[in-house]
Amino acid sequence: MISVQQLTKRFGAQTAVDALTFEVPAGQIVGFLGPNGAGKSTTLKMLTGMLDPTSGTATVAGFDLRQDPIEVKRRVGFVPDSGAVFESLSGLEYLEMVAALYGIPSEAAQPRIRQFLAFFDLSFETLTDKLLGAYSKGMRRKVVITAALLHNPPVVFFDEPLDGLDANAAVGFKALIQTLAREGKTIVYSSHILDVVERVCDRVIIVDRGRLLVDGRPDELAASHGANSLEQLFTRLTGGEEMERRAQDFARTFRP
Amino acid sequence: MNVPPQLDASAVPPLIPREPGSVAPDADRVLRKLFLTLFLRGRSSRGLRVEKAPKSVLQKLGVTTLLYAVFGLIALSFLGKPVFAVSAFIHAMTLMFLGMFVAASAGEVLFNREESDILGHRPVRPQALLRAKVRVLLSVSLVLAAAMNLAALAVGVLAPDGGWRFPPAHAASLALETVLCVGGVVLTYQLCLRWFGRERLDSWMTTAQVMVSIAAVIGAQLVPQIMIRFGHRLEITAERWWILALPPAWFAGLDDALAGRGGTSSWVLGGLGTAATGVIAWLALERLAGDYESGLKTLTERPAGAKPRAARRWRVRLTEAVPLRWWLRDPVSRASFLLTAAYLIRDRDVKLRVYPALAPMLVVPVILLLRGRQGTADFFGPAFIGSYLGLLPMMGVELMEFSQQWQAADVFRSAPVPGPARLCHGARRAVLCFLALPGMALAAAACLILTREPSYLLLMLPGLMAVPVFALFPNWKNGTPPLSRPVEEGKAAGRALGSILVMIAAMLLSVPALWAWENGWFGWWLFGEGLVLGALYAAMRISLSRTRWSSPE
Repeated sequence: MISVQQLTKRFGAQTAVDALTFEVPAGQIVGFLGPNGAGKSTTLKMLTGMLDPTSGTATVAGFDLRQDPIEVKRRVGFVPDSGAVFESLSGLEYLEMVAALYGIPSEAAQPRIRQFLAFFDLSFETLTDKLLGAYSKGMRRKVVITAALLHNPPVVFFDEPLDGLDANAAVGFKALIQTLAREGKTIVYSSHILDVVERVCDRVIIVDRGRLLVDGRPDELAASHGANSLEQLFTRLTGGEEMERRAQDFARTFRP
Repeated sequence: MNVPPQLDASAVPPLIPREPGSVAPDADRVLRKLFLTLFLRGRSSRGLRVEKAPKSVLQKLGVTTLLYAVFGLIALSFLGKPVFAVSAFIHAMTLMFLGMFVAASAGEVLFNREESDILGHRPVRPQALLRAKVRVLLSVSLVLAAAMNLAALAVGVLAPDGGWRFPPAHAASLALETVLCVGGVVLTYQLCLRWFGRERLDSWMTTAQVMVSIAAVIGAQLVPQIMIRFGHRLEITAERWWILALPPAWFAGLDDALAGRGGTSSWVLGGLGTAATGVIAWLALERLAGDYESGLKTLTERPAGAKPRAARRWRVRLTEAVPLRWWLRDPVSRASFLLTAAYLIRDRDVKLRVYPALAPMLVVPVILLLRGRQGTADFFGPAFIGSYLGLLPMMGVELMEFSQQWQAADVFRSAPVPGPARLCHGARRAVLCFLALPGMALAAAACLILTREPSYLLLMLPGLMAVPVFALFPNWKNGTPPLSRPVEEGKAAGRALGSILVMIAAMLLSVPALWAWENGWFGWWLFGEGLVLGALYAAMRISLSRTRWSSPE
C-alpha cells in the first residue's frame, strides 16, 4: 500500500530525510519513531503530498507521489502534529468544508459527522454554536481526527494523534485504529509515547537524523537488541541512555 | 465514549470514482466560500468569548462598505469639473485605498503557514487555491471600490462633458482598476517568492505592506491638502505627458474616452490601462501560477533558522548603556522592554497594526502646520501638535497590549511578580523609546522647517510634558501586561471613538496653554501643569503598583 524507495529531502545543506526505503502492506499499523528532528514529520509530509522529495520515489495506494499527487491525496487521511484548523469556522462548517473537498455531498457528510460526534462524545450543538478557536485542545484534536477519516481513506497517517486527548478518548482512539487496520486500512502512526506504539503497532520503523535505523516487529527488534521494551530499544538506538545519565547529572545541579 | 462498532467501515460512503487527476466538482465553490469566510471573519478567533466571536460575514462587509462609501463622498468636491479630472481623482483615491487594503490582506490570504497543514494534504490543486483566493480578493475589492465610487458616479453624470454614458464606462474602468490592483499585489508576491524565497518573502512583504499602508494613509491625508493648496497650479488633463506614468490616469482616460470628450490622448491612456491590466493579470494568475505551488510547499518546510543576533545585541547593548541602564534598573521591566522592542521590530502582525495606526498621527501635525502657513492659526498648530503627539505613546502602549501569541503571556502570571505593573513599565518605556521619541523628533523638525520659528517649539512643551501621564493611562486603565490580549479583541474595540476622544483631550490641553502664551503666563502655566501632571502621574503609578493579576476569563 505504501512503497518508499530512497526517499530523500534536503533543506539547503541540511538533509532531513536520507535515502529512506520501506514498504507497508495493507492492513498494517506501523509505528514511525525517532527523536526530535529525526525526519518523521518531514517524511509524513512527503508521503501526503505536502512536500516535494528532493530525490527518491514513493507510491501510496498505488499512485506515484510525483505523477499523481491529487490521487494520492484523495486516498490518504492525515492528522498533523500541529492540529491546525481554521479557527474562525465552527466545527460543523469546518467538517462540511473538508467533506466537500473530497466530493462527499452534504447529505452523506452529515450522518457521517454525527457518527464521529457520537464516537467522540461531542454534542452537535458544540459543533454548530462554537467557533473552533474556542474549543479545548482535546476537542480540536477530535475534530482534526474526524476530518482525517471522514472520507474513509485506505491509508491514514497520524502524527502525535493523542496529543490533547483525555485518557478515555485515547483508549477509544487506540481501539478505533486497531479496528480500522483489521478492516484493511494502512496506518502509519508517529508518536513519542512508546508504550502506546508498542501496544498498538504491528511493526515499528525507527529513524534518526533522517536515516532508517531498524524496521520490524517491536518484540523481535527488542529481543534482537537485548532490550526489555520498545522504550529501552529506542533509547539504545538513539542515544537516550546517555541522556538518562546527563539528566541525573543535571538534576544534581539543583541541590540547594 | 461510545463503542467503535458505530464506525463500521461499510457504513462509510465509498470513495467516489473519478477520472484520474480530477478534483471534487464543487471544490472551487467550496474554496471560495471558505476563503471569503476566513477573510471576513479573520483567521483566528482564539481567545474570543463566544459573544464576541465574529459570526456574520455580511455585517462586517457591510460596515466596511459603508465606510468606503462615506470616504467616496469627497468626490462631490469635484462637481462641475470635467470627466477626466473627476475620474483621475476618484481613481487615484480608489487605487490608494484598494492598494492599502489588498496589500494588507494578501500576505495572510495567499501564504498562511497553518493553512498548508490543513489543506496541503487535501485533493486540491494549488492553482485552484490561488484562483479561489484571488477571486475572493477581487470580489471584496470590487464591492469596496463600487461603494467608494457611488458619489463619483453622480458627479460624472453631472460633469460638463459627462452624461448617462459615464456610469457604465466608469464601472468598466473600475473593474479593470481592481483587477490591476489585485493582480499587481499578487504579482509582487509571486516575484518576491521567485527572487527572494519564502523566508525573505515574509520580511520583504511585511516591510512592503507597512510602507504601502503608511503611504496610503499619509497620501489620503496629505493629497487633498496639497490639491487645495496647489490646485490652481496643477491642471490635470489627459494631454500632460507625465500623466502617462500615473495608473489612475489610464482609467480616467478610459472614462473620458467612453463617456467624456473622447480625445486621442484619452484613448491612448485607456488602451494603456487595459493592456497593463491584461499583462499583469496574465503574469500573476497564469504565467507565475506555478510558483505559487512551490511557495505553498515551502511554507511547510521548517524555517531556515536565521537568527537576528545582530539586532538582539543592538537592543541589549542599548539597555546596558546610560541612560537606559538607569531607567531599566528593574530586571522585570528590562525584560519586558526587550520583549516589546523585539515585537515592535520583528513581529509581522505588530508591525502591520502599530505603524499604519500611528502614521496618521504624524501627518496631522504637518497638515496643521501647512494650514498655519496660510495664516489661519499660526500659534495653534504647534500647541496642538505638542498635545496631539503626547498621545502617540498612549495609542502605542494600548496597541502593544495585543498579540497573536497572547497565550504566551501566561508566563507573566506564573512569574513571581504580584501584578502587571513592572511589566507595564518596561513595555511603556519601549514604546516611548522606539515610537514616541522618533515621532516627536520628526514633528519638532517639521514644526521648525514649516514655521521657521524656533520659539514655537516651546508651545509644544505643555503637550510633551503630559507624555508620561498619557503613556501611563492605558496601563492604569487596563492593568494589562504587553502582548497579552487577543488581536481580534483589539479589532473589536472602538478605535474610531478612541481617536476622537484623543483629539478632544489634545484640544483641551492646547487651548488654555495657547491662552497663557498669548497673555504672558506661559511660564506659570508650565509650572502649574507640571505640578498637576506630577501628582496625577504619582497617583496612577501607585494605583498601578497595587494592581494584582485579574483572574483569567
